[in-house]
Amino acid sequence: MSASLASECNEVKEKYDNCFLRWYSESFLRGTATTDECKPLFDQYEKCLKKALKDRGIDNMIKEARDDNMENDAEHMKPRR
Amino acid sequence: MKIFQQSTEFDYSWEEVSISNWRKYGPWNEKTPHVIAVDTLSRTVDTVTGILRTERLITCKQSAPKWVTTILGGADTSLVYETSYVDPAAKKVTLCSMNMTLSDLISVRETCIYTPASSAPNAKTVFSQRAEITALCGGWQKIKNSIEQFTVERFQQNAMKGKEGFEMVLEMSRKAFAEQRELLRLQQDSPILREAKI
Repeated sequence: MSASLASECNEVKEKYDNCFLRWYSESFLRGTATTDECKPLFDQYEKCLKKALKDRGIDNMIKEARDDNMENDAEHMKPRR
Repeated sequence: MKIFQQSTEFDYSWEEVSISNWRKYGPWNEKTPHVIAVDTLSRTVDTVTGILRTERLITCKQSAPKWVTTILGGADTSLVYETSYVDPAAKKVTLCSMNMTLSDLISVRETCIYTPASSAPNAKTVFSQRAEITALCGGWQKIKNSIEQFTVERFQQNAMKGKEGFEMVLEMSRKAFAEQRELLRLQQDSPILREAKI
């Protein structure tokens, strides 16, 4: 998997990425996913990443990008008829 | 605005492609050294549709030539915001991305889709890519055109590299899965390996 933009988050990111990939291939694609077993690892990674994004001033850029992305969500998340 | 569009096929099942997609910019891909980091910002499964939505931040080494950074302003890295949608029932992966860096001056919006190929739905996957490039900076139309044209050309050059790189990841991923399966089989057949719990 790839590195994090913040090297201090790499270790927890790698653990989370491995957990996610296992969940994705063994549960999600097979339609047997119930709980998100990787959430505790994601929470740890997110905590580290959020701080790094704030320190670098990237958090505001992300907010703007999110606002610009509304149409994509509307188009790709709509239920199939 | 200029548009870049292309599509290509991979000789791998949609499941394999969709799994490897998460490893696309990892160490198995030697063709994308410009991608420095890929961070996951959020990830949720929609309870109504069953669609997995992921938000990622992709950090790239700035690779624009001097004349472009002179006009648009320079930075060592550029950031891309991506949302992806995996619909496991429809077997569709959609990736939408946009540039966050220099976004006041140029807008690059890309949509990529992976779906099973109609010719061989269990063995092949179609990748289609569409990018819309719009220079927003004020000033001469001629400069805007040059910037848009340069960006489209860069997409063309990268499309080939992107396919080659992803082929490497798919091959490595298939090998890794085969080895894992073989190990599991050996473990089931051999009491000694079962004990060792490799």
